[in-house]
Amino acid sequence: MKLEENIKTEFHQYKNQAEENAFFQMREKAFAEFDKNGFPTIKNEEWKYTNLKSIFDKNFKSTCVSSANVKNLLVDSVFNSIKANKLVFVNGSFNPELSNIIEKDNAIVISNLAKARKENTNVFDAHFGKYAKIENESLNAMNMALMSDGAFVYVPSNKKVENPIIIMNVVDSTDINVLSQPRNLIVIEKNAEACIVESYISAGTNASFINVVNEIYVDENAHLEHYKIQQQTGESYQNNYTQIFQEANTNINQVTLTLDGTMVRNNLHFYMNGKNCDTLLYGLYITEGSNHVDNHTRVDHAMPNCHSNELYKGIMKDKSTAVFNGKIMVHLDAQKTNAYQRNQNILLDPEATINTKPQLEIFADDVKCTHGATVGQLDEEPMFYLRSRGIPEDVARKMLLNAFADDIAEKIKIPELVGLLEQLIEEKL
Amino acid sequence: MSENQEVDIIDEVISQDYKYGFSTDIEMETAPMGLSEEIVRYISAKKNEPEWLLEWRLKAYRYWLTLKEPTWQNFSYPKVNYQDIIFYAAPKQKITLDSLDQVDPELLKTFEKLGISLTEQKRLTGVAVDAVFDSVSIATTFKDQLKEKGVIFCAISEAVHEHPELVKKYLGSVVPTTDNYYAALNSAVFSDGSFVYIPKGVRCPMELSTYFRINAENTGQFERTLIIADDNSYVSYLEGCTAPMRDENQLHAAVVELITHDHAEIKYSTVQNWYPGDKEGKGGIYNFVTKRGICEGVHSKISWTQVETGSAITWKYPSCILKGDHSTGEFFSVAVTNNHQLADTGTKMVHIGKHTKSRIVSKGISAGKSHNSYRGLVKVNKKAEKSRNHTQCDSMLIGDRSGAHTFPYIEVNNNTSQVEHEASTSKIGEDQLFYCNQRGIGTEEAIGLIVNGFCKEVLNQLPMEFAVEAQKLLAVSLEGSVG
Repeated sequence: MKLEENIKTEFHQYKNQAEENAFFQMREKAFAEFDKNGFPTIKNEEWKYTNLKSIFDKNFKSTCVSSANVKNLLVDSVFNSIKANKLVFVNGSFNPELSNIIEKDNAIVISNLAKARKENTNVFDAHFGKYAKIENESLNAMNMALMSDGAFVYVPSNKKVENPIIIMNVVDSTDINVLSQPRNLIVIEKNAEACIVESYISAGTNASFINVVNEIYVDENAHLEHYKIQQQTGESYQNNYTQIFQEANTNINQVTLTLDGTMVRNNLHFYMNGKNCDTLLYGLYITEGSNHVDNHTRVDHAMPNCHSNELYKGIMKDKSTAVFNGKIMVHLDAQKTNAYQRNQNILLDPEATINTKPQLEIFADDVKCTHGATVGQLDEEPMFYLRSRGIPEDVARKMLLNAFADDIAEKIKIPELVGLLEQLIEEKL
Repeated sequence: MSENQEVDIIDEVISQDYKYGFSTDIEMETAPMGLSEEIVRYISAKKNEPEWLLEWRLKAYRYWLTLKEPTWQNFSYPKVNYQDIIFYAAPKQKITLDSLDQVDPELLKTFEKLGISLTEQKRLTGVAVDAVFDSVSIATTFKDQLKEKGVIFCAISEAVHEHPELVKKYLGSVVPTTDNYYAALNSAVFSDGSFVYIPKGVRCPMELSTYFRINAENTGQFERTLIIADDNSYVSYLEGCTAPMRDENQLHAAVVELITHDHAEIKYSTVQNWYPGDKEGKGGIYNFVTKRGICEGVHSKISWTQVETGSAITWKYPSCILKGDHSTGEFFSVAVTNNHQLADTGTKMVHIGKHTKSRIVSKGISAGKSHNSYRGLVKVNKKAEKSRNHTQCDSMLIGDRSGAHTFPYIEVNNNTSQVEHEASTSKIGEDQLFYCNQRGIGTEEAIGLIVNGFCKEVLNQLPMEFAVEAQKLLAVSLEGSVG
């Protein structure tokens, strides 16, 4: 367990020079939690299909060094041409030169956590560490104990962020096996509106492990568009934990695209703390080689009259494995809940694997909840339709696969980006 | 329909008492309380078992000692104290039966109260009944008729002596002694059960049936059923049970093993209505059962049908291992929970052979403060090419303190198979009730129609005689809403 040793060493180094304040106490508590539980194993039901053992034996280390490659990488990325606010983090450290904020309204804060902790103390204290729990979530605890930096977005009441905010996480493993632990905090106040994109890319040939925690608070009547685009290449591991806390009448559209990565684990949690929330969550995962993608989602309907709709699609190639675990929890008295969940998978090669676990836990009676999961191949009927019109089989197959995947990509409401992403998907397929 | 009316009906439904609660006073011969190696030896000696079986039991017992009670289930229950259970109870009466006249009239009365009088059954229905009263089979009917066809249908303790080669070959071959906590316990202390062997090419001329009853106070019942269908044979087996009222919890940890060879088929139907505990959730039976079948041969088929209305806790997953190519597994289930009852049930379909098919239909109805969970696994192995599964599980909720949960696991390891899963949860449809009311159908009757229609798909799978009983039992659990 090389990684565990490294984490302990790093924490002790940090402890020796840290100030004794509330922030430090939070970290120390988190470290104690991590120390108590260690890393999750496949005996843990939540990790049944995802074995992290290969990560734990690697010699990952935190670093804030970045190479010159990063700049070129950003130029090549799909986001380069998009008009947006960009926050760039390389190996978890904020890079002000590569970042670019174009929003004109000064009341809107688009910045990094380290700065916000000092300048936006009230918002920071009210929300930081309040939503992503560390109890029995070792990887969250590990992030809290040693997190480097991360994005901080604060949209005050009645404001609308005009341009999307892109949080670009770059992992640069040019020199060593790198461990990166960013943590993002997003606070959208009443009646406000924002569009946030998280991007994950990588440079370098060594292994990388990025352990991200996102905490997102959405106050009454606010609207959030939240996209996650994962394109890490090389030997890259990612654990991504996102907790979204919704107050009444909020409206959220969330899209997760996993296009690459040796091992990607997404934990996406929604908690509806008020009535009339509307949450849409979409996901697309395309896996190849021996990659492993694991999507865990959980929607907590804690209050009445909320609606959620979930659709996750996957295409598995070669010897790759995908896991889907969707959980809908309807709490006691969350009457008039409507919750839908669908997971569709296409296995393209004989050795590809899918493990899916769509779950419903319902404690209220006046609800409408459905879930469905399918595993199979492309539909024969549309295939026949296309072929009977003279389209060759391989072209028809491509068309159908693209249509299957683009269905999800189109849920992103930045038109320029959708086109670029669809091109990427086409290349992958 | 006014809301009050609906509430009244639901209250009425929820306040239904257990109708089959009574206890028969018959002198019992029981083992000392508790569990130890001596008890295992005592049971084995009582049954006059051969050495290999005693060894088998002891091995299971020793393995059981190393295990911990599982904790992954979606409910909690007070810990069972295995030292407070009597593991063996037999009516003292000496039993060598040729006709029913020799049976203790008390016993016969009990069966009559349950509406399954042996004589009636024999005369009217043509069903051979191997009635298990507590732990020893007391009467077996229609034996001669079955003998003619070469069908073996007897108590497992009898089969151990008369057909040792079959028992030795198949016992524990589907559910090994090391399978799980309760299977290990059952293997160590099983008292009796049924044994069925259908020879090659025989279609069993009648439906075989066993009525289980837990009667003596403090007796855990550990049944062991073993059914083997040889090439090209068919058998339909019915299992049904009712139990009298008790205050303390009783544990039932049965094991059922089914084996089908080439082109054979076993249809196994269960109606379970053990004492569910009172309205406060006190008492009731713990029904922790391991049921599993293996489709050993090509084109073989195993079909499980269950109607679960009783027990404080039902915790079972009748499963199929589809090993032979082109084999089929089916699972049809209705689980009704009321008051404080808990059910965590479902199935496992393991596709190993090519072109294997499975179908799962599960209907859960929860009322009162009860919780009903579906937990199922569909696993398609790498070599199970062109396999097919369809799963449908629907839950209906009656009352705002009830819960319905679904935990399906789908694991697919090849790209030629198709697996579909769909599930829904909803309240009894107000639109449907309104529609019925509008046409002059009373609310009570309407609820009956809806619930009946909701379960029809499964009830239709039951053999004729059982379908009637199943409806009766649904009525006991949800009277006022089931027609």
